[in-house]
Amino acid sequence: MTGMGQDSVAVAVKDLRRLFGDFVAVDSINLTVPKGEIFGFLGPNGAGKSTTIRMLCGLLAPSGGNGTVGGFDINRESEAIKGIIGYMSQKFSLYDELTVEENINFFGGVYNVPKEKKGARKQWVLDMAGLAEEKKTLTRTLATGFKQRLALGCAILHEPSIIFLDEPTSGVDPISRRNFWRLIGEMSLAGTTVFVTTHYMDEADYCDRLALIYRGKIIAEGTPTDLRKRYMTRHVLEVEVDRVVEAMDILTQKNIDAAIFGSGLHVIVDDVQTGKERILNAFEESGIAVRGLEKIVPTLEDVFVTLIEVS
Amino acid sequence: MFERIKNLVIKEFISYFREKRTIFFLVATPLIQIIIFGYVATMDVNNVSTALYDLDRSSESRELARRLESSGYFTIERRPTSPREMGEMIDKGEVLCALQINRGFGKDLQKGIPTEIQVIVDGTDSNTALIAMSYVNTIIAKYSMDMMAPSITAHLWRLDLRTRVWYNPDLRSRNYMVPGVIALIVMLTCLLLTSMSIVREREIGTMEQLMVTPIKPVELILGKTIPAAIVGYFDMALVTAFGVFWFEVPINGALLLLVLCTGAYLLSVLGIGLFISTISRTQQQAMTATFFFFQPAILLSGFATPIETMPEIFQYMTYISPLRYFLVIVRGIFLKGVGIEILWPEIMALVILGTIIIAASAFRFRKRLA
Amino acid sequence: MKLLRVKAITKKELIQIWRDPLSLAMALLMPVILLFIYGYAITFDIDNISTVVYDMDKSSLSREFVNQFHESGYFTVRSYVEGYTAIDPYLESGEARVALVIPGDFSERIRKNENAPVEVIIDGGDSNTATIAQGYTTAIAETFSHRIRGKTLTPLVSSRSRVWYNTELKSRNFIIPGLIAIIMSVIIALLSALTIAREWDRGTMEQLIATPVKAPELILGKLIPYFLIGFADTILSIIISTLLFDVPLRGSITLLLVLSGIFLFGGLSFGILVSIAGRTQLVASQAALITSFLPAFMLSGFIFSISNMPKPLQIVTYFMPARYFVSILKGIFLKGSSLKVLWLEATLLSLFAILVFILANRKFRKRVE
Repeated sequence: MTGMGQDSVAVAVKDLRRLFGDFVAVDSINLTVPKGEIFGFLGPNGAGKSTTIRMLCGLLAPSGGNGTVGGFDINRESEAIKGIIGYMSQKFSLYDELTVEENINFFGGVYNVPKEKKGARKQWVLDMAGLAEEKKTLTRTLATGFKQRLALGCAILHEPSIIFLDEPTSGVDPISRRNFWRLIGEMSLAGTTVFVTTHYMDEADYCDRLALIYRGKIIAEGTPTDLRKRYMTRHVLEVEVDRVVEAMDILTQKNIDAAIFGSGLHVIVDDVQTGKERILNAFEESGIAVRGLEKIVPTLEDVFVTLIEVS
Repeated sequence: MFERIKNLVIKEFISYFREKRTIFFLVATPLIQIIIFGYVATMDVNNVSTALYDLDRSSESRELARRLESSGYFTIERRPTSPREMGEMIDKGEVLCALQINRGFGKDLQKGIPTEIQVIVDGTDSNTALIAMSYVNTIIAKYSMDMMAPSITAHLWRLDLRTRVWYNPDLRSRNYMVPGVIALIVMLTCLLLTSMSIVREREIGTMEQLMVTPIKPVELILGKTIPAAIVGYFDMALVTAFGVFWFEVPINGALLLLVLCTGAYLLSVLGIGLFISTISRTQQQAMTATFFFFQPAILLSGFATPIETMPEIFQYMTYISPLRYFLVIVRGIFLKGVGIEILWPEIMALVILGTIIIAASAFRFRKRLA
Repeated sequence: MKLLRVKAITKKELIQIWRDPLSLAMALLMPVILLFIYGYAITFDIDNISTVVYDMDKSSLSREFVNQFHESGYFTVRSYVEGYTAIDPYLESGEARVALVIPGDFSERIRKNENAPVEVIIDGGDSNTATIAQGYTTAIAETFSHRIRGKTLTPLVSSRSRVWYNTELKSRNFIIPGLIAIIMSVIIALLSALTIAREWDRGTMEQLIATPVKAPELILGKLIPYFLIGFADTILSIIISTLLFDVPLRGSITLLLVLSGIFLFGGLSFGILVSIAGRTQLVASQAALITSFLPAFMLSGFIFSISNMPKPLQIVTYFMPARYFVSILKGIFLKGSSLKVLWLEATLLSLFAILVFILANRKFRKRVE
């Protein structure tokens, strides 16, 4: 499929398709993820991220195309795949009525973690999740951040070589999110492949490589730096103004690409100098005071917005 | 394989017993049911509330009333003073049966003139009416014979019916109904326990988590069946003990055989519950489907009315109700004390039914989401 | 109380019901199936009792006697056997319920004008069938001896029995009106029990209680759609019972519908109360079964007569709305009773409905715990 040798590839798919009735959820995508990489799968809600991940985990049968996970065929060997992967869904699906420890024991048993390793793995999960003191707590009473880490722990009890994380950070506070990504980084260093979906663009920088998916199609692929360079031939100006919404409307009327970003605007222009002039002119007419105007390094979100507009 | 099933079983048990309400459901409700069913599920007709409109007030009419009461079948609760009053009592449902003894009854008897007694029965409940009517006729016929001069009856031959009642000589309907009730309760509990189990995990989302593990469908089905079977056995023992010690229903057959047959029964009942759970998308659907199944399953099992009295097409439908087979087994073991040499066809039927339906659930339960 | 909010909730519920056509189909099909089973398959009329015959006499008289059994319609002679031991397996396996043993000197004794003994063995397991079978054998023996003797003996006292209301003593007439109560109880338990618990399970309840919706609005909004389905079921049941099964409807149909409406309202409020108290769908479904369907089936006098129950249980039945509804149904259908006779039942039914509705409102707190 690619130049890489089979043994260095964790996930590879070719022309993978999935239909739901007439709706094309995933439209002939091609992907290759080398071992040990943190691979980020980005896209807005409903773009086809979860559908792809479910096909890779053997939860959904593909409508077309083929691929391998850990060397096993996703069409024919989905059961073998299940032994070597860990999967965590955005719902953090744990048993609410079981305690923390009981959940770990249960998933340990289901994944056939060998007896001699069980104790150590359990302790590892408890420490990792910061729940060593809360072993006997009912899972339903845990805060979301703890649930997330416990769910991750349960999904990787058997030390899988590939981990699939479907929006692992949804509904989790920023500090927990940062801790979570540190964990992911550690695992990747230890040789685990991590395949993660997210719609938080600021998280994309944690990934080694990214693929942007939109309406079932992959519209860009590469390292975060690559993407910025390759797809941002235009420039991004950050504008600080008072009446953001009004200001945005004015620019849109003048056919200038703008998006609200925090308390200001990000404006995309072909040339920095003429762009600045057009913006200032537009605001002068309407009497909106400009407090700041400068060129910035584009964020991945800028890249994404541009790419979507192009397609 | 064994390790995974073991962990599933442990998890199920923790889930059962963490909630006090579930424990209540598993222990208390079967007990409540056996008490209520045990007392209520009887077709015995006795103490029929009766109105006696006695216009004669002779020693003969009093004797007839005495015979009615001492039979135990009738309780004279009302003594109306006019035909209208008597009619109203039946209208309002205060009495089920009314007797009118006309003036001159005693005198006619003494003179040997044939005389009549009017009996009115509320036919609303046809079964009770039929039985009450036959009792009243028997009592009156016996009274009539006794009042006839021996000279008239002596030279006539009669068919002398010598009736022997086997298995349940006192005709206690409880001995017949309680074993059936035990089978019924075990079915209800097990169906409710399993029919929601898989679909519930699907709704919560844990099913998706389970499906990415190396668990095989058979293991998952077994992991759900075994704990439910253990609970089923426990409930069976509980209600059986209650039936034997509280309702004094004798077990004439081998207890061991009952234990073995219960296993076959649980297999098929749990299989049906799991099948419902695998075909349902929501718990609401599972519950509706459970109701949809168990009502006909009870009605077409011979629990309340004998299967022979059903039209042929319905008799064929009874074959899919596991309760049908188990009723033959429990009644056979409890009442008749029969052994495996008589009951083997029913046991086989249960095992086959159970195996097919569990296989179907495992097949139906694909590990893919769609 | 804002009608607009009630309407919004009703509309949402209707959409949800509509989106789950399988459950809706089952809810509407259930009465039809149950009516068919009860109407055709469940009969307490006992006939065709399987019988084996051991005829030692084998005379024309004994054959005539057996024939009389067969032709009565109450008994069906399955087979003839030789010897007592051959009878056992028939009774043990349940293949036959009655065995008739005619001794070798049967015809000889009759010719000599002596009493002729006939042995009847009855499987007493099903005591109800056994009792009735016993009555039939006595009657057949009596008719037989009268016929052979050629002269009848006028009894000194005879009874002239008359049956009121259900004159043909068809068990169908007795079962079907009461069945409507059972069907409605089932529909109620099915539909309403999960309605609140489901919203808790899915987390949508949190969303709902964050809106200004008030408890009575929510409960009423949820009640109306199920009331409509339940009422459709009732009308369907009445049509099938009267047109297809020829069950007489002697009383006022308006009264029947009004009282059914009251029962339905009370039952649904109760279902919602269970749903509120149960919280999870698992608990609520079990509770619904045990608190609404089983009492309706067992303690309402539908099949098992209340006067036969022990006193404490009889007292319990007074708290079962189904009890009142069953006697209302049987009264209106079979006896043509008017409100003058049924006023007490109707009052208690209404009282129950109002009480439970208030209780459901009280119990429903707009709190996340």
